[in-house]
Amino acid sequence: MDKFVVGGLVVAILIAIMAPYLASSDPDGLESAAEKIINPEVSDEAVLESPMPDYVIPSLGEDPISGVVAIIIGVLVVFGLAYGLGYVLKKKET
Amino acid sequence: MHIPDGFIPLWQAVIYYIIALIVGFYSIRWARTSLDERKVPLLAVLAAGIFAIQAMNIPIPWGTSGHMVGAALVAIIIGSPFAGFLVLTTVLIIQALFFGDGGVTALGINIFNMAIISSWVGFYGFKWLKPVINEVPAVFVAAWASLFLAAIACAIELSLAGTFPLTLGLYFMGLYHAVIGVVGEGLITTIAFLAIKGVRPDLIYREEVGSHG
Repeated sequence: MDKFVVGGLVVAILIAIMAPYLASSDPDGLESAAEKIINPEVSDEAVLESPMPDYVIPSLGEDPISGVVAIIIGVLVVFGLAYGLGYVLKKKET
Repeated sequence: MHIPDGFIPLWQAVIYYIIALIVGFYSIRWARTSLDERKVPLLAVLAAGIFAIQAMNIPIPWGTSGHMVGAALVAIIIGSPFAGFLVLTTVLIIQALFFGDGGVTALGINIFNMAIISSWVGFYGFKWLKPVINEVPAVFVAAWASLFLAAIACAIELSLAGTFPLTLGLYFMGLYHAVIGVVGEGLITTIAFLAIKGVRPDLIYREEVGSHG
């Protein structure tokens, strides 16, 4: 793997380490709008229970470390999946 | 802007899933004819970086926050909105299945907004603006528009769903995302573009002179 890929992954993991400490916990634009104007009959209950809801590992609690671990797992899974997808779908050499 | 389950009636959610599948089909066709093997690691690194940066919400006024989408960056760097689609769809699937960010039933509509609208606005915005206002300002404005117009589309869809009233939905979604778009999307996209251009200018897509496209 070339230096660019390693460098890019290091940047992604550094962001993952900082995110739980630096990220704003305020509602995002959509949630903020929903708080003010949502039709009160609408509920937002999740259909499927996810293993790491809100970017934390449930067994590690709501700690920032738990967030760091969850986001690093996500970074690696996304990297692997995108790499695999790109590899399978790439242009066939002629 | 990740829509949770329950905001969109199921029959409407299905329509967005179908649109996502159709664009997915054409994205696979694009990759099979145009995705160079040397670009695959770049695609994967961009996906990983975008996932990480989407976990970092930036505060804006009104007790609100927001984050980058990243579709414009991918579409501009790789040189195709289909690349933006593939990367953002990968990120959105993992977010919905593993992290409960965006509902599973709303995956189609989230792909529609953040993988389709953002990618196409970002790519064509950059392509059209670049000859008019130069490369770097074009990156910034196209990235801003890619987030803002996805948010406007989101407000219209939520009003069609009966979840938000149209005018107030457009007002709040437009206002918040106009601001998030400046730092969250425009500035970060410009910095990432310049950083990649600085270390590996060969990785950035260049339109061939006198050729198609």
